[in-house]
Amino acid sequence: MRSWVRLWSVAAVLGGVVIVGCGGGDDSDSGEGAGGGEINVAIVDNPQMQDIADLTPELFTKDSGIKVNYTVLDEGTLRQVTTRDVAAGGQQFDVAMIGMYEAPQFGQNGSLVDLTPFASKDSAYQIDDIIPSVRTGLSVDDKLYASPFYAESSFLMYRKDLLDKAGVKMPEQPTWQQVADIAKQVDSPDTAGICLRGKPGWGDLGAAFTTVLNTFGGTWWSANEDGSVGEAQITQPEFKQALEFYTGLIADAGEEDAANASFNECLAQYRDGKVAMWYDATVAAGLLEADDSPVKGKNGYAPAPVAETDASGWLWAWALAIPASTPKQDLAWKYVAWATGPEYLKEAGPKVEGGWAAIPPGTRESTYEIPEYKKAAAAFADPTLEAMASAPIDNPGTTPRPGLPGVQFVGIPEFQDVGNQCTQQFSAVIARRTSVDAALAACQDIASGVGG
Amino acid sequence: MAMTADAVDAPDLGRPRRRPELSEAWRRRLPLLPALLLMIVLTQVPFVMSIWYSLTDWKVVPPGPREFVGLDNYVNLVKDEFFRDAVWVSFQLTVGPVVGAIALGTAFAVLLDRKFFGQGLMRTLIITPFLLMPVVVGLIWKNQMFHGLYGVLNWVIEQLGFSSVEWVSRYPTLSIAIVLIWQWTPFMMLIMLAGLQSQPTDVLEAAKVDGTTAWGTFRQLTIPHLRPYMELGVLLGTIYLIQVYDQIAVMTGGGPGSTNVPYFVFQRSIGGGWEFGQASAYSIVVVLASIVIATIALRVLSGLLKGEDAA
Repeated sequence: MRSWVRLWSVAAVLGGVVIVGCGGGDDSDSGEGAGGGEINVAIVDNPQMQDIADLTPELFTKDSGIKVNYTVLDEGTLRQVTTRDVAAGGQQFDVAMIGMYEAPQFGQNGSLVDLTPFASKDSAYQIDDIIPSVRTGLSVDDKLYASPFYAESSFLMYRKDLLDKAGVKMPEQPTWQQVADIAKQVDSPDTAGICLRGKPGWGDLGAAFTTVLNTFGGTWWSANEDGSVGEAQITQPEFKQALEFYTGLIADAGEEDAANASFNECLAQYRDGKVAMWYDATVAAGLLEADDSPVKGKNGYAPAPVAETDASGWLWAWALAIPASTPKQDLAWKYVAWATGPEYLKEAGPKVEGGWAAIPPGTRESTYEIPEYKKAAAAFADPTLEAMASAPIDNPGTTPRPGLPGVQFVGIPEFQDVGNQCTQQFSAVIARRTSVDAALAACQDIASGVGG
Repeated sequence: MAMTADAVDAPDLGRPRRRPELSEAWRRRLPLLPALLLMIVLTQVPFVMSIWYSLTDWKVVPPGPREFVGLDNYVNLVKDEFFRDAVWVSFQLTVGPVVGAIALGTAFAVLLDRKFFGQGLMRTLIITPFLLMPVVVGLIWKNQMFHGLYGVLNWVIEQLGFSSVEWVSRYPTLSIAIVLIWQWTPFMMLIMLAGLQSQPTDVLEAAKVDGTTAWGTFRQLTIPHLRPYMELGVLLGTIYLIQVYDQIAVMTGGGPGSTNVPYFVFQRSIGGGWEFGQASAYSIVVVLASIVIATIALRVLSGLLKGEDAA
């Protein structure tokens, strides 16, 4: 008798521990519904968002009377929370920050409020000031579903002094083959030739690698005529060529411990002088040219390297969206219009800790006309704007893509999962734990589970 | 605990008194019922719901109709090679650290069982790893010990004249196992220390008089005495280590050689897969496995307690 009771209690505890992780899928905390000027906002924990959270009481609440309750989350958690809250119809947030991957998908399935009617009525918002490629990436059928707060593309950063010393010159628009040759020439025991992302994750290795894949003429899936997902293309020659090139370049002239490196690890190695080149997000330039950077003023910036296509840089934005489930759409729009409008950028410049160079970049053309910003960001403002403008959002590769537009990702809900699992395989190739062929075969299996 | 039951039962064998005694027992249990009810609501209701989810094809992204699919999820699970890989990793990451931690724990326990200056301080220091949060442990090891450029291990290796090793990415299973052994050795040491201190000294003295060597005493007297404690350590360790998640999440973020079953369930559900139906099926299997191990653990535990009563 007794041992049965004890058995059950242990079984119960064990059951609880394991199940809580996945059984609690539909416990949506409904908002307070307090009314009268209070909204709940979920944001990602990057420095620019921290700044706006600090400035909100002074610059927004004082004038509008609307109190803003922030929930600050890291990227992964934010994605989990917003996917549950927005896509599954919870009512926790009146405004949620989502990425360029989610915005069109959630918009298309009716989870988000179309912002276009609000924006066209609001003259201070200046919708036509938004950089066109960013606006395209956040829209479906010309309906804007999320307002960009921060946007970036990718380009190649390199140490001018190290390349000069090795007697090599970076072409205006380098090809990947030229970059690989330069990397091998400048590679030395102390300084690796290039830093490339190798850490698993669709937004880490997945983003950098997919831009290479695109320009090599490969793709994750073929597209059916109606734009739906066709067959997985992982074992096609172009995909293999791209993966062999990417992992081969890391093996020949890549950074230390590449299978663990993403944006932050490469940033640290580049600033420490341990790599000569770095292919990553345009936002990195602001950190390389910061006052406390040991490599300040030593850097050149070239467009994302290409192979078969004319441009290959990625396109990403963090943007504010209003879930269709919120009853406070008008209050929410007032906040979105303020936080992502042109006025905030001008007001924030003198107030944020990092100075003018630290205001959210890449969203509006007017940002690049502010004299103070042009001065503070002289080294990288133009290359960034050019990269943003030329990011091939409509046609990233050589073949039609399935799903919604996207450069470094495929605009279908399943990509997140497939990208995560496949990049784990590719990262294992970089760590020399598996072969290119084995990784491709495993990835083909994973990707074949989608569509059809 | 078993003693109280015997003590109450033994004198009252007469049948007439059974009835009032039962109600007496229930009167004693009554105050506990709200807690029991709460526990059932908090643990068993989600469990039953998960069983239901595991029989549906519930997918959150893209949202679709949730339909009953019978045992399809369980059939897929058997066919899924990535799940089989995860089971194999779980096996390695459970058996390796349990055996390693018990071996090291026993060694430390034997050393700490002797009287020496600073014994208390030493014991506290050795226990510390077990008191740290798993996420913190993972980060410390990843960034300060294993790191390719800034790690202590690689500094030592380079001082010895070898080239540095990319621990976490090259040997993910081994790296995580090392961290788990580091963290679980203190726990095993405490269990073994309890075992050593309960060893009757007269037997040891008799062995000494008979002229047995220290190693002989350890092998022929101490090890057999420690056996039930080792079994307990193995089973408790297994129950906890089979659920390891935090260290994997912060050190490798999954991948071949480091995705174990709990991490796999995370990836299939809120970690990007959003297939709650399929993920529920995986977790049900984990629960069943854990219950089997827990049952064995309880048998051993009660055997140990009975043994102590007899002594």
